[in-house]
Amino acid sequence: MLKILIPTFMLIPTTWLTPAKWLWPTTLAQSFIIALASLTWLKNLSETGWSCLSTYLATDALSTPLLVLTCWLLPLMILASQKHTALEPVNRQRMYITLLTSLQFFLILAFGATELIMFYVMFEATLIPTLIIITRWGNQTERLNAGTYFLFYTLAGSLPLLVALLLLQNNTGTLSLLTLQYSNPLPLVSYADKLWWAGCLLAFLVKMPLYGVHLWLPKAHVEAPIAGSMVLAAVLLKLGGYGMMRMMIMLEPLTEKLSYPFIIFALWGVIMTGSICLRQTDLKSLIAYSSVSHMGLVAGGILIQTPWGFTGALILMIAHGLTSSALFCLANTNYERTHSRTMILARGLQMVLPLMATWWFIASLANLALPPLPNLMGELMIITSLFSWSWWTLALTGAGTLITAAYSLYMFLMTQRGPLPPHLIALEPTHSREHLLILLHLLPLMLLTLKPELIWGWTA
Amino acid sequence: MNPYIMALLLFGLGLGTTITFASSHWLLAWMGLEINTLAIIPLMAQHHHPRAVEATTKYFLTQATAAAMLLFASTTNAWLTGEWDIQQMSHPLPTTMITLALALKIGLAPMHSWMPEVLQGLDLTTGLILSTWQKLAPFALFLQIHPNNSTILITLGLASTLVGGWGGLNQTQLRKILAYSSIAHLGWMTLVLQFAPSLTLLTLLTYFVMTFSAFLVFKLNKATTVNSLAISWAKTPILTSLAPLILLSLGGLPPLTGFLPKWLILQELTKQGLPLLATFAALTALLSLYFYLRLSYAMTLTMFPNNLAGSAPWRFHSPQLTLPLAVSTATAILTLPLAPAAMALFAP
Amino acid sequence: MTPVHFAFSSTFMLGLAGLAFHRYHLLSALLCLEGMMLSLFIALSLWTLQLDSTTFSSSPMLLLAFSACEASAGLALLVATARTHGTDRLQSLNLLQC
Repeated sequence: MLKILIPTFMLIPTTWLTPAKWLWPTTLAQSFIIALASLTWLKNLSETGWSCLSTYLATDALSTPLLVLTCWLLPLMILASQKHTALEPVNRQRMYITLLTSLQFFLILAFGATELIMFYVMFEATLIPTLIIITRWGNQTERLNAGTYFLFYTLAGSLPLLVALLLLQNNTGTLSLLTLQYSNPLPLVSYADKLWWAGCLLAFLVKMPLYGVHLWLPKAHVEAPIAGSMVLAAVLLKLGGYGMMRMMIMLEPLTEKLSYPFIIFALWGVIMTGSICLRQTDLKSLIAYSSVSHMGLVAGGILIQTPWGFTGALILMIAHGLTSSALFCLANTNYERTHSRTMILARGLQMVLPLMATWWFIASLANLALPPLPNLMGELMIITSLFSWSWWTLALTGAGTLITAAYSLYMFLMTQRGPLPPHLIALEPTHSREHLLILLHLLPLMLLTLKPELIWGWTA
Repeated sequence: MNPYIMALLLFGLGLGTTITFASSHWLLAWMGLEINTLAIIPLMAQHHHPRAVEATTKYFLTQATAAAMLLFASTTNAWLTGEWDIQQMSHPLPTTMITLALALKIGLAPMHSWMPEVLQGLDLTTGLILSTWQKLAPFALFLQIHPNNSTILITLGLASTLVGGWGGLNQTQLRKILAYSSIAHLGWMTLVLQFAPSLTLLTLLTYFVMTFSAFLVFKLNKATTVNSLAISWAKTPILTSLAPLILLSLGGLPPLTGFLPKWLILQELTKQGLPLLATFAALTALLSLYFYLRLSYAMTLTMFPNNLAGSAPWRFHSPQLTLPLAVSTATAILTLPLAPAAMALFAP
Repeated sequence: MTPVHFAFSSTFMLGLAGLAFHRYHLLSALLCLEGMMLSLFIALSLWTLQLDSTTFSSSPMLLLAFSACEASAGLALLVATARTHGTDRLQSLNLLQC
């Protein structure tokens, strides 16, 4: 772990010591080297599932894909942020990169932690850099509101989690993920135990976000600068799914009954947020709601607690991380040219930016889960496991898939096809930086179809 | 003020607290508290300003009442049990009265209403003394009497965390916000007082460090309202970018220092079988966090439109000493990884 | 509870109640405080008398000295309030409310 953590930490001195002219290339190169080195985690030969074991940190088949995704995303965020920070004073650019780096540092510690309390502390620690990124580099005054929502939804959910974790430690004497699954099963019978169950999962369901507690997410996405949106969609939401998968083993007998309302909320949310997407005028808000919809499917897959459910959830999390991050980047390329997120004001972009239209096409197809892509694999596994749990879920998941296809098409048609508005004739051409950025999102996604066992976790 | 008199008063301030620390007899402890109060009153009233005098009067009345109640309770204890020793409180009536008197002295809710008003009338240096040094002597007594009336302590503690969060929400004056923050922190200390007195001490010390940096940041910026924080970018840019971390540390957000006492207190409360109380106390901390967040917004995370003259003050070199601020800021932000050392240091 | 104990307790409580409920003049608040301190003086001296303890005999004097200091500080504040606010009515101490 340290071979990644120390270079990540040393990115901060790099940021502050390189000359201004070389600031972005140097940090980009270093973060790419880190991402490349992090690929070694994928080679997991140990029999117990845990590798890279140290006192506090370890990786296993569940955390490795998320760790690699985290490391992969930092260079992409640096690549994406160059344009909109270019006009700022250089110290502020350095500060921005420092915040992004610290976010990656905390995320690696969160995904790699073997103690639940350390996971909790790092889970919370990601709030501060994200909050500063949203509220300091966002574009409109509503960003303050969005930051407040973001902070308080997450904290109101996760403070009960802290108490629940401390209670768990009092009962079992340990919070180590390595040994927790071997401790005696808790006799969870009383009313208080049910509250404890809710306390354990609520934080992750808010972070995920479950439909009903999702209001912070569209706000945060819409107001955040591009790097904030990318990391929020790609990695921060996955903290919720990851935490749920880790906690599930402790909640064994209660989840069967108590998870009903949450599964229903999750699947209902797939349909509802998909329908919201269909009548959305704001491009970033549309992508944000589509995230909520996909994460609802992930929540359903985790709560069902079958091996296929877990596997599908993990695959969908990784695939969705890359896809939605790519979509946010594409939305940002539009935003940097038209300075508006309203879709109706920037139609027919295929005419002026033809290669971008190709990227839009591929990203939209990935978003609606086109066959060979891992998105489909994840969705299919979740839908199958839900179907084998109850036939009626097919109505919800099937309608959800249909609506997903509909709004992806709507998004593609609204941005790429149709008449080009006359005020958009003199658009800036696309840069190879932007093409590289999208390619680096979509290439791993397509390559994963060739070797999906990298991301299907310990269960399959 | 004449420096000799100033030195004398500061000496008296230290002497009073030291006498209270060292005493085992209630009369001596009371005398220490009185010396302490009498020494700070001229310091508070040194600016002949109506607000300073008003704050001093209010402070004097509450402190004198609290001290009289303390002595009355200990006299009653002597009449009932024949014992003047601080650590030998056995009768419940005087113990409760002393708890309430000390609560009035440090400003725990529901006896808190003097605290924001008094702090509002003082300048930031005296305010810093009031919200740090003046809490030491009462807490020394609090820790020595081992109060075991859990209903009163928990009521006081929970009411304080709630009032401290609730009251600060609508404030625009920094000193009042700091006063409410002090009330909320004292509430946390009181919550855990009967279970783990060492944690109370740890919380008190971390609170001192954090509030010390907060006061010094405001003092360096000469800011007393939320609005005047907005131009601190132009005065102290680096400090301004660190200030939200100090404030969020006061709010108790991990991975900053302020999370350490809250974490340990919640752990202790769940260990004592009070998880609901722990959850409720943790959720009241969100109320406090809201106004810290608002301060961070006003200070760092938004840029106010500014003219050229308003954006140039960083050119002037401030004569104020910044080394203590640097040390306390580093401590107030970065000490969470030292949690095992802190726990070992304050182990019961 | 002995009658003596009851006597000084009720005196103290009367002073406290006066301080808490009769909020008109600062002077009356100071008088109530002084009354509380004097009841404590009685309590301490009677305790010394009752136990015939010589080691404790100086304590009422210490108490009296401190309460005199406190009273003088209170009177100084009364003068300061009168100079800044023009009156000693507690109602006029309202600059710091919000």
